[in-house]
Amino acid sequence: MSAVVILLFRSSIAIMTPLLLAAMGGLFTELSGMLNIALEGLMLMGAFSSIVFTYATGNMLYGIVLGIVSTVLLAALLGVITLYLKSNVFITGLATNLFASGLTVVLSFKLFNNKGVVVFPELGNLPQVDIPLLRVIPGISTLLNGHHLLVYVSWILLACCAWLLYRTPFGFRLRAAGLHEETLVSLGLSPARYRFIAFLISGFTCALAGAILTLNLGAFVPNITSGKGWIALVVIFLGRKRPFGLLFAAFIFGFADAFSNYAQGAWDIPADFILTIPYVFTLIAMIMLSIYTSRKSRFE
Amino acid sequence: MVNRSDKIHTHPYMLRSAIGPLVIFSLALVSIIILSLLLSKTPGRTLHYFFLGPVQSTYYFGNMLNTAIPLIFGGLGISLAMRGGSFNLGGEGQIYAGAFVTTMSALTFSTWGIVGAIFSLILGAVIGGLLSGFSGFLRMKWNTNELITTFLVSNMVILVVNYFVAGPLKNPETNLIATKKIPESFQFSRILEPSNLSSGLYLALIAVVLVQLYLYKTKSGYELRMFGLNAMFARYGGIQAGWYQVWPMVLSGALYGLGGGMVIFGTYFATVKEFSAGMGWNGLAVALIARFQPVAVIPAALFFAYIESGARNAMLHSDVTFEIASIVQALVFFLVTSSVLQQLGTKRVRL
Amino acid sequence: MEVAAHMHEIVKVYPETGNRANDGVSLTLRRGEILCLAGENGAGKTTLMKVLYGLEVPDSGSIHIEGVSQHILSPLHANRLGIGMVHQHFKLIEDFTVAQNVTLGSEPRKFRFGYDLRRADQLVDAVIKEHHFSIEASDKVTSLTVGQKQQVEIIKMLYRNVDILILDEPTAVLTEQEIVPLFTTLRTLADNGKSIILITHKLQEIKNLSDRVAIMRQGRMVGEFITSEIDEREISRLMMGQSISLQLNKVPYSKEKRPIITCESISVVKRNQERPLLQNVSFTAYSGEILGFAGVSGNGLGVLEAVLGGFLPISSGHIEHNRIDISRRDTRRARRDGLAYVPADRIKVGSASGASVAENLIIASRRQFSRFGVLRKSAMREHAESLLQKFSVAGSPHMPLGTLSGGNIQKVVLAREIEQYRDYIVFSEPTWGLDVASGRFVYERMIELRNRGAAVLLISSNLDEILSLADRIAVLYRGSIAALISGEAIHHVTKEELGSYMLGLACQKEYSHG
Repeated sequence: MSAVVILLFRSSIAIMTPLLLAAMGGLFTELSGMLNIALEGLMLMGAFSSIVFTYATGNMLYGIVLGIVSTVLLAALLGVITLYLKSNVFITGLATNLFASGLTVVLSFKLFNNKGVVVFPELGNLPQVDIPLLRVIPGISTLLNGHHLLVYVSWILLACCAWLLYRTPFGFRLRAAGLHEETLVSLGLSPARYRFIAFLISGFTCALAGAILTLNLGAFVPNITSGKGWIALVVIFLGRKRPFGLLFAAFIFGFADAFSNYAQGAWDIPADFILTIPYVFTLIAMIMLSIYTSRKSRFE
Repeated sequence: MVNRSDKIHTHPYMLRSAIGPLVIFSLALVSIIILSLLLSKTPGRTLHYFFLGPVQSTYYFGNMLNTAIPLIFGGLGISLAMRGGSFNLGGEGQIYAGAFVTTMSALTFSTWGIVGAIFSLILGAVIGGLLSGFSGFLRMKWNTNELITTFLVSNMVILVVNYFVAGPLKNPETNLIATKKIPESFQFSRILEPSNLSSGLYLALIAVVLVQLYLYKTKSGYELRMFGLNAMFARYGGIQAGWYQVWPMVLSGALYGLGGGMVIFGTYFATVKEFSAGMGWNGLAVALIARFQPVAVIPAALFFAYIESGARNAMLHSDVTFEIASIVQALVFFLVTSSVLQQLGTKRVRL
Repeated sequence: MEVAAHMHEIVKVYPETGNRANDGVSLTLRRGEILCLAGENGAGKTTLMKVLYGLEVPDSGSIHIEGVSQHILSPLHANRLGIGMVHQHFKLIEDFTVAQNVTLGSEPRKFRFGYDLRRADQLVDAVIKEHHFSIEASDKVTSLTVGQKQQVEIIKMLYRNVDILILDEPTAVLTEQEIVPLFTTLRTLADNGKSIILITHKLQEIKNLSDRVAIMRQGRMVGEFITSEIDEREISRLMMGQSISLQLNKVPYSKEKRPIITCESISVVKRNQERPLLQNVSFTAYSGEILGFAGVSGNGLGVLEAVLGGFLPISSGHIEHNRIDISRRDTRRARRDGLAYVPADRIKVGSASGASVAENLIIASRRQFSRFGVLRKSAMREHAESLLQKFSVAGSPHMPLGTLSGGNIQKVVLAREIEQYRDYIVFSEPTWGLDVASGRFVYERMIELRNRGAAVLLISSNLDEILSLADRIAVLYRGSIAALISGEAIHHVTKEELGSYMLGLACQKEYSHG
């Protein structure tokens, strides 16, 4: 196989992993009936806290775990204010993003006296994983082997998500909350409870997604997650809100990104226009979706 | 997806209680205090500059009022949209695009004097109105959720304008990533030296009066409000539903665009890359606090400008960073749509 | 026979409207019987069952289940006591299977967190087989017919081992063919020891299915009867009550009558409905008369109201106003045309609680109250003040409408429409939510309008109202006119006769089809 193709493929996988993780969390909130635009803010929180805690404890595992804890706390705040104080979920999502954005800069300044890019030179990257099993299969090995740990973790998590959503009572009830919450209410179950847990799950996965971004870079860049939250939402819709669809959609975006990086030398499309792609994509998808639903329900 | 029933609107049976905004106001104050205590080695000093900085000199005070100008326009725009039952979340893009178009028009028609200035401002308003109206149109035609479409279009527009400002239209003479400066004849005069408070403030106040009059004294404003209160009732009375799904959006986008132009003519005199970051969201927050009442937009805008100015002051004179303001604003956003908080302490009155 | 449930002297008053939905109602349900709870809309049947199912708490009275006194606090509690309810609007997840819907909330587990889907299928299949239903546990609900979806709701309850099953107007959503299997199922369940209460107002069902029937009217229990010992006419009479004359002073209209509104063979068809909502309805409303439209709700009254109000376009036929074709109209044209219309839902359709009284009063006449686009505030205020006084409404022009009491809100709506009529006015359920005195006031205004030459179209499910006011009566049944009573016959027609037209028992020759 051509070296370029292999390179593109491997880059795609690397790039898609944070998207996949964020989208997984977003899938839970989406299926429970909440439009969660806080994925960006949660990822940012995860990105910052993981690298800072890794630096503080000298241990990447502790760093990631503490990063997860802080992000889930933020997600819990979001959940409580949205569900129990009954606020508009879009606005509280915006608030979360704003909060994360401000908090990370404030803490960065407080801790490192630096509002910009903070480099952590000695942390080392996420560990590469070598899976002997994959070595056996010649073609696959070059493509799938040797990625960093969280890539494989994301695949395992994806399988867990699928199991949670389709093979547990929790998953059924969560989906019921999004499909027809009156049914849950008539059975004495609380849709808010499942939605809250969905928020927490999104905090967990976004923490991991953010951790990848900073730990692989060895630095924290302010607003490193800009736009990625929206791409995660597009991945969810493109993946038709199903776990393995997410894998496919995330890969497409990863590939598109890898390809545009590669092609940026060759072609001359300004970076800004390429950055508009997820927004254009989502907009067109939304318009088409509403044309379709409005045609379907010609009642009055 | 967001339910249409998630729309924010003041509950008809509640007397407009001051308790909700008061709670938010107090929580904002408390959070500033806590943040200062946590983050500053000299919290007393920080708080001093935060709360008193904006008012301790004409320079700071005037600058604070100046930052309120785009917030007033944004707040008015959102108030109109919400009164008409629509949601405009594209303020960021609409301000930026309006500012950009105004700048380009001013540069193109630089010899037209005051006519050129007015024309440029109108053009900025038009582009804002078109951007927002597009989402309104989508909602009218296919019931597309305008929260999302305004947001998406806004992000796209920001990227596009960024490209032009940093690329083909960048001013080669400065290091700043910005367009060329507009001619002096177009620049608003300073009204409170040495601060950069411009006469745009007068225009902002006039806008408040105009919008208030429009909403409560004109037939069109009446129809807009009735539609926002009860679309079924408006239809019942013969008001055309389709129009009022678009018109409030157009108005709000136009006001945002106009606000962008005001900032260019009054403060920056050129479109600097991402100069308006946050103004759209702040305009939204201002409208939410003002409960969509045009006159209340003024104190709400001043409140936000005060927080930003306080943060800036604290940053300059003490050891905290400006982004504290973002945290406080986020807190406001978190709480301002809570129907639980809104209903605290309200009573039902019946005859 | 043993008693499965006994409700004793249940009182339930809704404070917002002051409506005594249940006024000391008692009901006995025997084990293994099918009991029909019958009555007109508003009789209080649904409220009584909501009390039994824990959806409402009674103000006073007691409930005994299997001889034990109970306070039923929630539907879950009711389930635990063995009471189940099948609602009119299904609570099902379309994308899930039958088994998944039935077991939702009580799912069989695998390793504590896992869902044993196979066992769920087995358990639900067992229930299905036991009661001979025609569906499978693994069917997706979205692929089922309406009748089958209803079966799923019933299975949901049986899975939870209910002994008492309440069904709320179950045949309202079914086709003719689906009703028979439902009845068979219910009969079998009863024979196997379950006790069933069927809320209904359909006479055929009562006669065909029930062992006993309990009839309610206006919040009171008229009586419990053994079905075989009572006939349909008697049930109808007990449901409707005796005619009450309202003693209104109605002199015959002496001037010449012009046709104001003519509807010619209008039909309203919707893609998702089998039956047309209105079918070939023709009538003419003349000046100086009150044309009443009677019917049980759901038979086209609401649709007719929507058509007249401009909300619903007709699919075929013509509408003429003073001989000008207005068949294609929306609300805007309708208002321009001179529509005056008091909707049945004064709050949701006829007013905006957040706007002031004065603002509410000019919604249709806003053009008259503005000059060059600017509102004439003082004219608005004067207009409001005069109307408030004329209709004795407690309130002032600038107050938000929502701060007025329910009755006063209604009066504002009435005042507005009565004030601005041109030559015709539509009233739908004009006295819903009004006390007796205000109701009388409305009737007097209606007669006044008619005496002044207006064509008054009165749509109402209140027969007393129709009988006292109307000069002519059209009865709607299933979207068509079943009868038109006019001339001399008006003075002799009885509630029973009207009732039989309304319930489909009879039909005037010229209106029957084939």
